[in-house]
Amino acid sequence: MNHNYVVMVVVLLVWAALFFYLLRLEKKIDKLIKETRKD
Amino acid sequence: MYIKWMRWLLLIWLSAVIVFAFVQPAPQQQIGETSRIIYFHVPCAWLCVLAFFMTALLSVRYLLKKDMTLDAKASLSAQLGLLFCLLATVSGAIWARFAWGAFWNWDPRQTSIFLQLLIYFAYFSLRGSIGETEKRATFSSAYAILAFLTVPFLIFIVPRITPSLHPSDTVIGKEQKFNMGPVVRWIFFSSLAGFTLLYYYLYRLGAKIKVAELNRKGMA
Repeated sequence: MNHNYVVMVVVLLVWAALFFYLLRLEKKIDKLIKETRKD
Repeated sequence: MYIKWMRWLLLIWLSAVIVFAFVQPAPQQQIGETSRIIYFHVPCAWLCVLAFFMTALLSVRYLLKKDMTLDAKASLSAQLGLLFCLLATVSGAIWARFAWGAFWNWDPRQTSIFLQLLIYFAYFSLRGSIGETEKRATFSSAYAILAFLTVPFLIFIVPRITPSLHPSDTVIGKEQKFNMGPVVRWIFFSSLAGFTLLYYYLYRLGAKIKVAELNRKGMA
């Protein structure tokens, strides 16, 4: 298998993991901000 | 609503850039496979300049309006700038290992980015050394504006007036024309746009946290 494809899959997986981590983080922040406003 | 779409656009856009960057032939045949780094290394360096420019702009606005959220956003942009500056330095060093045989050899480009990192590390040292909030914001804003004056000099001028091994005509050649083929140009500029979107997303996310922190302290 071409090495480029291996690197491409690894980079795509890292990027997707980072993206979904940021998405989860954003949801947590929004939730915390809403809770703080209620208090 | 558009923010929700922007996130998914960012995911699809950068994923497409990654796929095309590896599927298409290497952008520079003389350099070979390692020249693919141009799609990631140059956008990191671009974001470093953009983030430091935003820091200076927000600092000017802080000095005019004395709004603490502007100072918090300036510091956030400097953090992002430093992160992308580090990524550009590390990716450049890895490329140098394959192209020049060593990770670090004090090439003018490496020296100038190292100085740039030191200048912005000093920004955070300054912020950390002043306890009083308003004094810290005023001093660091003044420093950020002065620090930005070094950016065009260290990133664009120094590496071009000193003999360097770093490729300088990859994007624009000596005749002031694009040196890239149409496909490479498309992937390269798409990568620049995608990274700029990534900066905006990270900045927005960070600003949310900073403003919430200030609200909690009753300073916003």
